[in-house]
Amino acid sequence: MSEYAKALTNFWSAQGKAVLDAQEKAARALTDNMQAMLSGRMPSVAEAPGDAGALTAELTQAGDALMQLWSAAGSLSTELASNMGKYVGGAKDDTATAVLERMLDPRQWMAGTGELDDVLARMAEGPRLADMWDLERRFARVMRAWTAMRRRALEHQGIALDAWMRAGRRYMEELAGHASADGHPLDRKRALALWTEVANRELLQTQRSERFLGSQRELIRNSTELRMAQQDLVEHFGKQYGFPTRSELDDVHRSLTEMRRELRRVRRALADAQAAAVPTPPPANDGPVAPAPRAPRRKATS
Amino acid sequence: MAQAPINPAAAVADAAKIGTKMLTGGRLLGEMRDEDVQIATTPKDLVWKSDKVSLYHYRPLAEKRIGVPALICYGLIGRWTMTDLQDDRSLVRNLLNLGLDLYVVDWGNPSRADRYLTLDDYITGYLDDCVAEIARRAGVEKVNLLGVCEGGVFTTAYAALYPEKVNTLVLTITPVDFHADMVENREGHGFINLWTRSLEPEDVDRLIEANGNLPGEFMGAVFNLMTPMRSMMKYNWDMLEVVDDEKRLLNWLRMEKWIADRPDHPGEAAKQWLKDLYQQNKLVKSEWELDGRRVDLGRITMPVLNVYAKDDHIIPPATSRALGGKVRSSDYKELGLPGGHVGVFVGGKSQKLFAPAVAEFLQQHDAKPA
Repeated sequence: MSEYAKALTNFWSAQGKAVLDAQEKAARALTDNMQAMLSGRMPSVAEAPGDAGALTAELTQAGDALMQLWSAAGSLSTELASNMGKYVGGAKDDTATAVLERMLDPRQWMAGTGELDDVLARMAEGPRLADMWDLERRFARVMRAWTAMRRRALEHQGIALDAWMRAGRRYMEELAGHASADGHPLDRKRALALWTEVANRELLQTQRSERFLGSQRELIRNSTELRMAQQDLVEHFGKQYGFPTRSELDDVHRSLTEMRRELRRVRRALADAQAAAVPTPPPANDGPVAPAPRAPRRKATS
Repeated sequence: MAQAPINPAAAVADAAKIGTKMLTGGRLLGEMRDEDVQIATTPKDLVWKSDKVSLYHYRPLAEKRIGVPALICYGLIGRWTMTDLQDDRSLVRNLLNLGLDLYVVDWGNPSRADRYLTLDDYITGYLDDCVAEIARRAGVEKVNLLGVCEGGVFTTAYAALYPEKVNTLVLTITPVDFHADMVENREGHGFINLWTRSLEPEDVDRLIEANGNLPGEFMGAVFNLMTPMRSMMKYNWDMLEVVDDEKRLLNWLRMEKWIADRPDHPGEAAKQWLKDLYQQNKLVKSEWELDGRRVDLGRITMPVLNVYAKDDHIIPPATSRALGGKVRSSDYKELGLPGGHVGVFVGGKSQKLFAPAVAEFLQQHDAKPA
């Protein structure tokens, strides 16, 4: 089986187990699961370096603010769970219940909305360079950049969590409205569909807000700075030991691209000259052929 | 309000149904191999190659009815395989069945070594070479261009720079006015336009400087931001819907395979794409320059068919339709198809409308009767 199919199968098995587990627990009140959210992994301010001065203080502040938001989200989550019992009923649907439970958990929300943050972090977080103690200045730049990025990431998570709370409140209002409109409680599937609709609307509005866009812009700037600081450190190390560096490879690639352009230009000029001198050849049909030369390219922008 | 009573028998039956579904799904997934999930299977031959760029010629599936060959040109974000996802959802097959002589260009998998490739290289370089090769093989002076999304921008610019080499220009879900997302301002539509404008040009430069290219994974994450709840429910709710039906599961997995194949965008070309076009909107203003030449949309005088998706959240219709007021074509047509960005290629309704409209348009303007 390919790695792709294997990964998908494993993933599906895990999903299936989660749904089956949820079935076993179907008799338990939603409240338990909602409250369990509070035991989830919290962003730890202890990860911040102790010697980064003001930056560390800002990081701690961002962490504290997020802790408060998580706490508020926990309360809201409990309230939501309690209201679910009031307004959602109808035929039992274990799948919808399981999915609804997952979707109403703020941890799921954070997992779903943080994809770009994760990608940025992976792009930025290169090799751990704990042993490079002799390169203090460059290492300090890396640490500063890391601290700044973590702080921005926490702030950005706060914006997403804030959006979850707004969605939760709106969901409770709409849930009550839907349930009372026709005198019957919503079934689980409709309750899930309503959450999807409300949450989607709230997320889209949040993403278009200046606050979200500004925060993401800062996160991109900080993750970029971190990556460049790491590259600077590695370049320094590479030069000292005679290893080829990223800059040197980039030089080679730039030259190669320019030479290919030049080659195509010459080929095109040759073909044009031949075409002017000889009648057009009959169409060929088989096999790949060498590329025709072409006009000159402009240089890469900077 | 009292909670509705739970029927124990119904609950047990429901649980059994889900259990069966899960078991069937697990078995199907366990038995499937990667080769079972094939996309882009329509037979074709490699006829030209330069660096990482490949030009393929499709084998005919029907008698040729349109003499001038057509080239499908996708962009660097995603891959052309969307146009031939599976046998019964394939623009390529539909066009071949209608008698087109069809080619497709594959840009390959750009790596860090390709970071200095520019859009100039792709448009006036590789694309021009492909057109020259097709013209040589078919014994014609002009070809039909079928541009898709970013590839539509490539073909639009090409048609403006080399109108003498283009018989007709067919565009699909192609942005021309990158700021026209504000025309309708529909909720959830045009987020990439807004997001890119929220960055400074220097942010783009540093992003590329730090990463070399614009990683495909990065763009994938931005796309997922556009449909946040759909992205969250994809691997639980959505997958559960299809997992016990082999045909539907394979359809779903084919789409997954296409999504997973997201090449990196060469760095310098990405700078042009994001800064020149998304931020500064130079194309619609005819201010964009390639190889030192201005891309003047007024030079597009050949027939144009501009196809857009009515519910396209990635390329809002107004960003495509802006082309109409800029070209000097004697025959400019628009076709609005139902569905979204990808639905144009795989949607049931779209399947019936899209290829026949293209074939009819090309036939009307066929300079070399088959």
